[in-house]
Amino acid sequence: MLLPRRQFITQASAGVAGTLLAGLVGSVPGCTPAQSAVQGKLRGAGHALGHRLRTPGGLPAPAHTQAVDILIIGGGVSGLAARRALHQLAPGRTTLLLEMEADTGGNAAAGHNARTAYPWGAHYLPLPDARDTELLAFLQETGILTGYGPTGLPIYDETALCHDPAERLLLHGHWQAGLLPEAGVPAADRAEIARFLAEIERLRRATGPDGRDLFRLPLDWSVADADARQLDTESMADWLARHGYHSEYLRWYLDYSYRDDFGVPAAQVSAWAGLHYFAARKGRAHNAPPDAVLTWPQGNHYLAEALRRQGDGRVQANTLVFSIKEINNGQVEVLAFDNATQQTTRLLARQVVLATPWHVTKHLLAAPVTLPPLAPLHAPWLVANLTVAGYPGGPGQPLSWDNVRYGSPALGYIDAEHQALRGFEGDEPRSLTFYWALPTNPLDAVAARRHALASNYADWRTLVLTELDLMHPGLAAQVQAAELWVWGHGMVAPTPGYVWGAARQQAQQPLLGGRVHLAHTDLSGISVFEEAFHQGLRAARAVLARPANS
Amino acid sequence: MAEGSVLTRRRRARAAAGANAEGAPRPALLLGSVAVIATCGLLYELIAGTLASYLLGDSVTQFSTVIGVYLFSMGVGSWLSRYLNGQLLRWFIRLEILVGLVGGASAPLLFGLFAHVSSFRVLLYGLVGLLGALVGLEIPLLLRILQGRLAFKELVARVFTFDYVGSLLAAVIFPLVLVPRLGLVRTALLFGALNVVVAGVSLLSFEETRPYRRRYLAAIVVALLALGVGVVGAERIQRYAEGEVFQDTVIYALSTPYQRLVLTGNHRGELRLFLNGNLQFSSADEYRYHEALVHPAMQDRPHARQILVLGGGDGLAVRELLKYPQVAHIRLIDLDPAMTRLFRSNQLLRELNHNSLHSPKVEIHNADAYAWLRQDTARYDVVLVDFPDPGNYSIGKLYSTAFYQTLRQRLRPGGLVVVQATSPYVARHAYWCVVHTLAASGFSPVPYHAYVPSFGEWGYVLAQAQPGSWRPHGSPLPAGLRYVTPQVIGLMRSFPPDMAEVPTEVNQLNNQALVRYFEEEWGPYGQ
Repeated sequence: MLLPRRQFITQASAGVAGTLLAGLVGSVPGCTPAQSAVQGKLRGAGHALGHRLRTPGGLPAPAHTQAVDILIIGGGVSGLAARRALHQLAPGRTTLLLEMEADTGGNAAAGHNARTAYPWGAHYLPLPDARDTELLAFLQETGILTGYGPTGLPIYDETALCHDPAERLLLHGHWQAGLLPEAGVPAADRAEIARFLAEIERLRRATGPDGRDLFRLPLDWSVADADARQLDTESMADWLARHGYHSEYLRWYLDYSYRDDFGVPAAQVSAWAGLHYFAARKGRAHNAPPDAVLTWPQGNHYLAEALRRQGDGRVQANTLVFSIKEINNGQVEVLAFDNATQQTTRLLARQVVLATPWHVTKHLLAAPVTLPPLAPLHAPWLVANLTVAGYPGGPGQPLSWDNVRYGSPALGYIDAEHQALRGFEGDEPRSLTFYWALPTNPLDAVAARRHALASNYADWRTLVLTELDLMHPGLAAQVQAAELWVWGHGMVAPTPGYVWGAARQQAQQPLLGGRVHLAHTDLSGISVFEEAFHQGLRAARAVLARPANS
Repeated sequence: MAEGSVLTRRRRARAAAGANAEGAPRPALLLGSVAVIATCGLLYELIAGTLASYLLGDSVTQFSTVIGVYLFSMGVGSWLSRYLNGQLLRWFIRLEILVGLVGGASAPLLFGLFAHVSSFRVLLYGLVGLLGALVGLEIPLLLRILQGRLAFKELVARVFTFDYVGSLLAAVIFPLVLVPRLGLVRTALLFGALNVVVAGVSLLSFEETRPYRRRYLAAIVVALLALGVGVVGAERIQRYAEGEVFQDTVIYALSTPYQRLVLTGNHRGELRLFLNGNLQFSSADEYRYHEALVHPAMQDRPHARQILVLGGGDGLAVRELLKYPQVAHIRLIDLDPAMTRLFRSNQLLRELNHNSLHSPKVEIHNADAYAWLRQDTARYDVVLVDFPDPGNYSIGKLYSTAFYQTLRQRLRPGGLVVVQATSPYVARHAYWCVVHTLAASGFSPVPYHAYVPSFGEWGYVLAQAQPGSWRPHGSPLPAGLRYVTPQVIGLMRSFPPDMAEVPTEVNQLNNQALVRYFEEEWGPYGQ
């Protein structure tokens, strides 16, 4: 990724931060544990360089000019997938990929401590739809898919399938297996949950008049008829109310799920996207149940690295693109500032894949280009990696991969070493990665982001350790380090009207004389690996649809 | 005991400082008491040291710490003697009754409570400290009682002479007569009674005790009765302590970062190793377990040169492997360095494993077997997998298809793997789950089982990399086996109906089916 979705204001505004934290912590009982000894850093890398985009006049004039065949701007999953596809489909063409951060991967970022790698963002891939042959081919090339069983279903590398026990939920003071509330849930609620799941199962199998699935991934393969568009205009919360779903347990579970993938609860998600979330999951495997997921200690950075390995051509990191123009001879002129050499290069590209988030794309493609009125909502996110000396146990199911507290405003934590291949777990410290989609307001997302970014390290640490103490009383005292990352723009939320609105369709069209192709999950409306992968693939095909020497 | 006499001298020198002037009659009688109480005092110390070594192991540490605490407490007692004023003889009589009761009860208390207190050392050192302080009061008190009766140089010379004579007596009769004839419990009670008798003689011999004689006499009779009951019941106390609570004596105990190792022995010469409280082997029948683990595979591999053993840091499987001259190299991977160190250094265990871990053919690595295997590039003819039972999700990974597939890549063509696979009788689904998991991992499994009295029916799986590559009657078995014969190999492969094959899931990392079966089936046994 090229520009700061994690713009990050370093000076703390105690008043603003205090308000935000009071809102979050105040919603849960309990006290604030002593934590002043816990050390770590607050990250949100790239903001210094990213902010220079706002004042491009301050950047140096180009020192030299370089011709490029295909230029890819942004090294997130979409950009890396485009680069890989271009190499595979047209090995003779050359590409150059520019990335603003020090490393490629975008949202699929990862960190490292003395014991293990851990994710800073996206961290799993559900079993893909077995009809998504392009994604399956990538997984096979990566060694994650090892072959096909006698019935034609994919066989996945067992070490990449999330090991058992996968999930647990702290509900009524007890850790139950799985995240769907069950233990101690009243019969009426259970009946409502069962009714919802049955409806999802029906929708999962449902097809339109042309035989296409109602819900599929990537979502552009779904039926997009009038019914779908109608469903996309109302909120999931309204849809639930209209269909008589009132169970607190079910509503919590759905809110949790949407916050986990989209960053916002059911009230801010379109009903189409809310149903798609469940009904488009059609993965099957020879050696795993349909609800299995693939995961790695470093999360989806593993996949991002595989995409990068399977591509070809130079990758230049720490480089800020600040201008894209069409010039007279039909080429695209791109100005790129290399933060390492502090020099600007004028790149003349035949074709450009612009794989940046929308708020960056808007800056880069200024007038006279007319951009569609796309207005994605990005919730701010907090990701915290805690090194904890004690074992996070508790009554019921032992430590699992995903550990969630019912009713929590946070999203719980994953055990970074869950996938470790060893037969002994000692008393060594553990790495727990907390996820927290911070509340945002579609009418004033900027204000929410500013609130989030104004908080300092100590504020966030208090928030995370308080949540940890609620999940495991006393454990906060055993935290040795807390590394934090605040994403100013976490990922796109499929708000009502976004997915099937006209703006999103228009945004997929090439720009600047058909030489600039956009590729990003902001153009999908849901930020999942499958969408990003296909965004890259679509852009690569569009590039190649044009004769190389035109 | 040599150290006893040296230390005795030092403590008496310290005690001499407490002398005080007061008249006291009949020095001969009191000097005789010195000899008696000196004997008793040293005996309590020896009893506590022996008991601590007996119960906790590591006799050097136990004796050093018990003697240290005891002597220090005597110093405390000597110092405290300055606060005893007034009727010194009365104090002395009280003191002797108290020493007799505490000293006499020391051994039965330590034995009886060992299994029931959470911190035995607190009890041990508390008791030793109390006893030491009481004994430390004795000599200063006597010196003060005798002070008016004898010239200072006579007093000091005589008191210490009798003190040391008493100590010598104790040091000689304790190992030669008392422990073998009476045992620790009875010895303690008898000598406790002697202290009380000293109190009684003092009480009756001195006119000045008359005002309180009746009361004290009653107390002395009660104390003697209590100790006497103890002597009569000593057999039962000892049997309760040793026979029922501590079937065996702890010879060695160590907590490592990985587990708690406890080695016990009993009068039959049987050694048992417990890891985290689970019996690992008994020397009485481990040969059955290890012969069954090794020989069915090895008897059909006359050319097997490279062997890998995963787990099995006790060297007992290696002992069996070394009976095959064709074996050139055995690589042993065991997680815990303390385990392999113990079985390389302890004389009893080296006798048990025939010093196998010192064989030049054996190479030991202390590592996690899964992590090791994933970076290993060597290939092996036979691999023995002797892991702990799959009682948790971490160990469960070592029984998964992913693990077995990794293992399979390390085999030479025609290679064999043998896996210990819990009890097919107790955990029938768990056992067959291991068999089916090996089959799903591309192996051709041969299930078999053996009866090991300490464990019950125990299951193994012999897994062939290529089907039909193993024969039950290959080459001759090594001489001197006590369990495995060609006929027994045939019998081991036959499963009666109560252990017969049942359908199970395959154990994968993402379902951990085996851990669930294991928990369900072993749960009722409190494992």
